[in-house]
Amino acid sequence: MTAFRYSRTVYLAGALVLVGAVATGCGGGKSGSGGSDKTTGVTITVALATEPPPQASIDAFTKSTGITVKWTNTDWDSLQTKIAAAATAKTYFADATDVDWSRVGQLGKLNWFYPMENYLDTKALAAEMPQLTSFSSNGHVVGIPYDASFLVTTVNKKLFTKAGISTMPTTIDEYTADLKQIKSKNVAQYPLNIPFAAAEGLSTYWYQTTAAFGGTILDGSGKPQFATPDSPGYRAAQWMVDAIKQGLVPPGNINVADSQGQQTLMAKGVVASTFADYSGNVGSLYSVPASSTVVDQVAYLSTPGVGGAGPNMSNPDGIGIPRQAKYPAAAAKFIDWFTNAQNQADFAGASGPDKVMPGYFLPSRLAGMTELTEKGKLIGGQQLADLLKNSAKPVFPQGAPSWYPEFSKSVYTSLHAAATGSMSVDDAIKAMAGTANKLSS
Amino acid sequence: MPRRRPWVRTLGILFIVLWSLVPLYWTLNTSLQTDAQISAKPAHYLPPSPTLSNYHALLSGAGEIPDTIRRSSINIVVECTAATIVTVVLATLAAYAFARMRFRGRNLLFYAVLATMAFPAYTTLIPLYRIMSLFGLVNTYTGIVLVYVSGFLPLATWILHSYMTSLPIAIEEAGQVDGASRMQILWRIVLPLAWPGIVSTAIITFLFAWAQFLFPLVLSSDLSTQPLTVAIAALQGRHTVPFGLLNAAGVLALAVPAVIAVALNRFIVNGLLSGSVK
Repeated sequence: MTAFRYSRTVYLAGALVLVGAVATGCGGGKSGSGGSDKTTGVTITVALATEPPPQASIDAFTKSTGITVKWTNTDWDSLQTKIAAAATAKTYFADATDVDWSRVGQLGKLNWFYPMENYLDTKALAAEMPQLTSFSSNGHVVGIPYDASFLVTTVNKKLFTKAGISTMPTTIDEYTADLKQIKSKNVAQYPLNIPFAAAEGLSTYWYQTTAAFGGTILDGSGKPQFATPDSPGYRAAQWMVDAIKQGLVPPGNINVADSQGQQTLMAKGVVASTFADYSGNVGSLYSVPASSTVVDQVAYLSTPGVGGAGPNMSNPDGIGIPRQAKYPAAAAKFIDWFTNAQNQADFAGASGPDKVMPGYFLPSRLAGMTELTEKGKLIGGQQLADLLKNSAKPVFPQGAPSWYPEFSKSVYTSLHAAATGSMSVDDAIKAMAGTANKLSS
Repeated sequence: MPRRRPWVRTLGILFIVLWSLVPLYWTLNTSLQTDAQISAKPAHYLPPSPTLSNYHALLSGAGEIPDTIRRSSINIVVECTAATIVTVVLATLAAYAFARMRFRGRNLLFYAVLATMAFPAYTTLIPLYRIMSLFGLVNTYTGIVLVYVSGFLPLATWILHSYMTSLPIAIEEAGQVDGASRMQILWRIVLPLAWPGIVSTAIITFLFAWAQFLFPLVLSSDLSTQPLTVAIAALQGRHTVPFGLLNAAGVLALAVPAVIAVALNRFIVNGLLSGSVK
């Protein structure tokens, strides 16, 4: 038995050595909050769902501030999981990371991010960044928008003209009539793209359509504003479902998500219009020969509303500082630099390809957008700048509620069911309103 | 005696087979088409002119997506192989101890190990993440492998324990009479006899590790450790989804476990059934 005892001792020692090696040799991590105020001679991690700015630009930032930037590019969905996991575990993950407009309420309520007004003059920024209001929660600014994303109507002018439409529609009724005309003249069998797949893109499409009908989704206390048949939200849902039932929308769109529809339908000339498209898509997708067969045919259109141009719902990407950041002050300096008007214009291509940040199309600052437009570097730039300045509105003026993800899920599953015919529009609206009432009470 | 209805069974089997295979077929079909063919209306149920261009682009092309797929393929092989080796070694030792050694609390300990399999894996995500962060193991091969090992060890131990208890103990006793130490018995007698069980445990562990998504998603921060499953999922979140490359990458990710499952099926079945028949 001696041999057995000896073996056990050896194994136990081996296991302890292994654990010790793991703990010491590979150690060095840090958890918990309470970051350093140091703003020079530090390395910060920036985790965003986008490629980094050119290395030369980042090097210039490092040279002027002494802050080294380690950039981590993670896709959006994965990033949200990581943010939640790190915040829940109260563990360091990054010094600056994504703050999506739809998560502002959640992030604010959970106190996962530092209030940006502690570091930047957010009141001054608000005048320059129309979409900053989308990042407010309980009186605090959770993140700073770094691009200007909003929903906008796009039309394939060639197909409209081919159908004999020379004047672009300005109201929802004219728009609907034009789509029917395109279909009746066989210019496009299915002229309208609505992504009816049960996904977030369907919810945002409905928000935009509701805004076009002159309404809002929730009031200040989170109560639904779309429950009655005469409400804009109800009419918007009815309009969308009618569109697929009347053959204006491809039947296969039941399982088509937003970017998929833009890429495979709008960019290929299969449909003539997307009512709630992404700002920037004309320049970044429809005018790119590698991804489009409708180059120079697609243009932005002021949202056809009830009695004229309607608003454009904002869905910008923001950047904020997690509570577990190691160097929050340094991260704030980076955010200030990253959202600087000149840098934004450069990232979007105002100063040539060397300074372009891949995938970055629209500056969140009006000055950046203006510079880009004046230099003729943005397709539809003047129109987009006007829309950003005058008609881009937050989906939820008081900030997205903390229960937004659950509400959105109810919206897209109900609207999807209504489009498939397994639920009436009335029942879908009741389900959505019921969810909002339950969550807000 | 009720009448047999073989057509109901056939229909049921056909439905399940189609339900399982059609998505896989569609992935393969899409991967063999060009982008223009993929977005054609109506869709092609067969590739009109099958091309390996997507595979060629992934395996030898330049650009961000091929680089990502190639690097993440290396990562997944490294992580799965390491996790499999460590798991099998530890599980073999543990299973042998539980099967043959007599010590106080043996059964309690063994069932405690098995009971950990009842916990939903996701409930351990945050604590594990915190532990890994504490030791600086986030975004390291070591961290991911350790998490895999902790997750797969109970099942591997159980399978090998079942296998080892089914082996005749008389041979080991003969070895003990001849003066062999416990380790010698394990190394020279038990391991050769338990080899099929060890192989099946290794295969099952490898397949489980290959299919992991959430844990490596959270524990890896960048391409240095991100496995193929996470990298492929990330392609869907792009502004322009590369459908051809996405599906080709999916086929590549499927190919490894599919080949292993088909080629080594008898080992897998053997391992899973071990101990079920005395």
